[in-house]
Amino acid sequence: MEFQRHQLSNGLSVIGEVNPSAQSAAVGFFVRTGARDETAEISGVSHFLEHMLFKGTDKLSAMEVNEAFDSTGAKFNAFTSEENTVYYAAVLPEYLDRVTDLWTQLMRPALRDDDFNMEKNVILEEIAMYKDLPQFDVMDRCRSLHFDKHPCAHSVLGSEESIAALTAEQMREYFQHRYAPNNLTLACCGNFDFDRFCRMAQEKCGSWTPFEVGRELSYFGGSKSKRHETKANLVREHICLVSAGVAAQDRRRYAASLLGLILGDSTGSRFFWALVDTALAETAEMQYESMDGVGAFYSYLRCSRDNAAPVMDIVDGIFDDVTQHGVTQAELDAARNKVLSSVTIKSEQPMGRLVDLGFNWVYLNEYRSVADDVAAIKAVTAEEVNRLLDEFKPGQYTLFSLGPEDQK
Amino acid sequence: MANTLDQYTLGNGMVILGERMDHVQSAAFTFLLPCGAALLPEGACGAGEVIADWIFRGAGKRNSRQISDALDALGLHRDSGVSAAHLSLSGALEAGNLHKALDLYADILLEPSLKEEQFAFSQQLAIQELLGLDDDPRQKIGMLVCEQFYPHPWGRPSMGKREELVALTPDRTRQIIRDRFSIGGTIFSVAGRYDFETICRQMESRFGSAKTGSETMIQNGPRGKKYVHENHEGAQVHIGLMTETISITSEDYYNAMAAVSVLSGSMSSRLFTEVREKRGLCYAVGARYHSLRDMAGIRCYAGTTPDKAQETLDVIVAEFNRLHEGILEEEMDRAKVGLKSTLIMQSESTISRAGGIAGDYYLLGRVRPMEEIRHRLKETTVKTVVDFLRRHRFVEYTVATIGPTEVRWS
Repeated sequence: MEFQRHQLSNGLSVIGEVNPSAQSAAVGFFVRTGARDETAEISGVSHFLEHMLFKGTDKLSAMEVNEAFDSTGAKFNAFTSEENTVYYAAVLPEYLDRVTDLWTQLMRPALRDDDFNMEKNVILEEIAMYKDLPQFDVMDRCRSLHFDKHPCAHSVLGSEESIAALTAEQMREYFQHRYAPNNLTLACCGNFDFDRFCRMAQEKCGSWTPFEVGRELSYFGGSKSKRHETKANLVREHICLVSAGVAAQDRRRYAASLLGLILGDSTGSRFFWALVDTALAETAEMQYESMDGVGAFYSYLRCSRDNAAPVMDIVDGIFDDVTQHGVTQAELDAARNKVLSSVTIKSEQPMGRLVDLGFNWVYLNEYRSVADDVAAIKAVTAEEVNRLLDEFKPGQYTLFSLGPEDQK
Repeated sequence: MANTLDQYTLGNGMVILGERMDHVQSAAFTFLLPCGAALLPEGACGAGEVIADWIFRGAGKRNSRQISDALDALGLHRDSGVSAAHLSLSGALEAGNLHKALDLYADILLEPSLKEEQFAFSQQLAIQELLGLDDDPRQKIGMLVCEQFYPHPWGRPSMGKREELVALTPDRTRQIIRDRFSIGGTIFSVAGRYDFETICRQMESRFGSAKTGSETMIQNGPRGKKYVHENHEGAQVHIGLMTETISITSEDYYNAMAAVSVLSGSMSSRLFTEVREKRGLCYAVGARYHSLRDMAGIRCYAGTTPDKAQETLDVIVAEFNRLHEGILEEEMDRAKVGLKSTLIMQSESTISRAGGIAGDYYLLGRVRPMEEIRHRLKETTVKTVVDFLRRHRFVEYTVATIGPTEVRWS
């Protein structure tokens, strides 16, 4: 595998990891924008805009866009988070030019009023869909509670009210600022020719105008608030906990990932043995999520209403114990082996590599090969994990739970 | 560039399949045991989920904790699942650890401890998972529509029925394991980096003398209702729809796959265009081919707010109904290139291929080489697909809904 990079004069970063033995390639635009870059008036605009990019350009209708992608057999989609909007496609090498060309066109969308009004219905349906998925709902609301006044509290989907009130003009203005070339990374992995890829980037994106783009990057350790709500149609208790962690730019992120697995992997973790093995909860998982300038550990637990209190007592006990006594070498070794095999399996497909390649560039402005990540994971020591626990106590969490109403 | 296929049969009938892939460092494997949800005795619906958990709670000389620690130490990513025909256990890891993992799986399958005190936990977890399904109507609707669509017992919900799960005892479950864990009827597959001779030697020594049970014979019962509704005061009505089509053993299989792809293969396909793009009725809508060995259906899902539910269902059914009227050449080209890309991209994933070759062997009695699939796709044309659709019109639909309102359907 060979890494290559290039920057256009307007600031667009073009990066690639070439693997001539791959049977496919994956290409994507990483836009450094998301819910945290929105104001309350335009809440949900980043995600709505992601949908609108597929509605075409001055030259292409929405139907033509879908047909153009599908005529290449590409597996394509996009996602929006609190801080990134990513457009990606996995494709056979012979179609890479066509798909890259298409993405470059879509990055300058028409944002027509008619399309905007029709797509608003789809966004409102998506909001309704997530309301019926308490597992997502509880995580989303706990994140908002945790981050409180920090911009990472903003909802990715927005609310029914904010989406209803949003105008196409507001979206166009947001687009002008946030989709400036200097806020974009174009990445490719797999079987492709980097020079040819760069020539296309220059030809298609070279004329885009840069714009000064900012982001508030303060660190926040969380509100540590606790809230419980009931909902008529629910059967189980859904509990989410969020506690502070290190940022994506922090070298201790590898130790943080391993700590998340030690405490809350779906098998063999402390949560697993205390809660799932004993059938007190059917799900009890924890993971670390690194973000731009901040980071957090998320836990999700699902159990019966009667078990909610004993489950939380056990969770508190696990957090106390690990903070006092630290993790063991055996726990660290097991977690490390799991991560190493995940890295190996994921990186065998170009699409699996693309997201890591892109995010490393967006967050660190750095290329990290699979071997670099493997070495960093191997180098983590139990002392390092335990020092992390001293600083970021998992027991100091924000809690949001959603459960059934009283049956009386 | 094509992957290489290997095959060997142990003396007791257990089939060992392999697909060697260059340029990978991992290996993935799958065991398909012939004791899926449809093959379990009456009154034991959901026992597969209990068994899949119980057998990992101690085996050979290791207790539950030691088994789990040993698997984790190998960095194994494991999964288990229950389909109509099989209990499947699968894993993926760095190739160097494959043989150690297979030794542990031999213990788990051949010498599970099946301790009484562990049974209660497995049973409780299965009951809780089932109850949790009520908080996930999007997943529940798929099971509900399958249960109505397939003749009993093929549509039996793999997650079980509450009263039957509650009634299970350790003795009854042990008996099911004794009767249905036919190692001779098991299909084992591996994909990625491995040495086939070594694998065969290991499998022969661990599994070669294990028993072959008799095949479970199934008498097909009646199909369920044409429409069922479950009330749920949620934000959306979740719609599941199924209609019959030919199974994978049919000569028309590739025509059926292409037809489903035209209907719902991607964003320019008909359902997405008509339901979401033109009318804004849904966020999620899609249809997939769903095959058992001897029968198959096309299963469709849509989730929408209550006032749009009827229109959503009507538009979906209209698209199914008019598919036989004709398909454009461009639609066909897109469907074919989409299927071809999926095929090639799956060939880069050890996990996909281990599952794929085992599934092929069960459904067809052989693994289809990639060249054959490519060739058959190439031969598929607008004419062959439309001819097929006219010979096999979609006549009846089974519909299920979960949500605050019902739809009109008879």
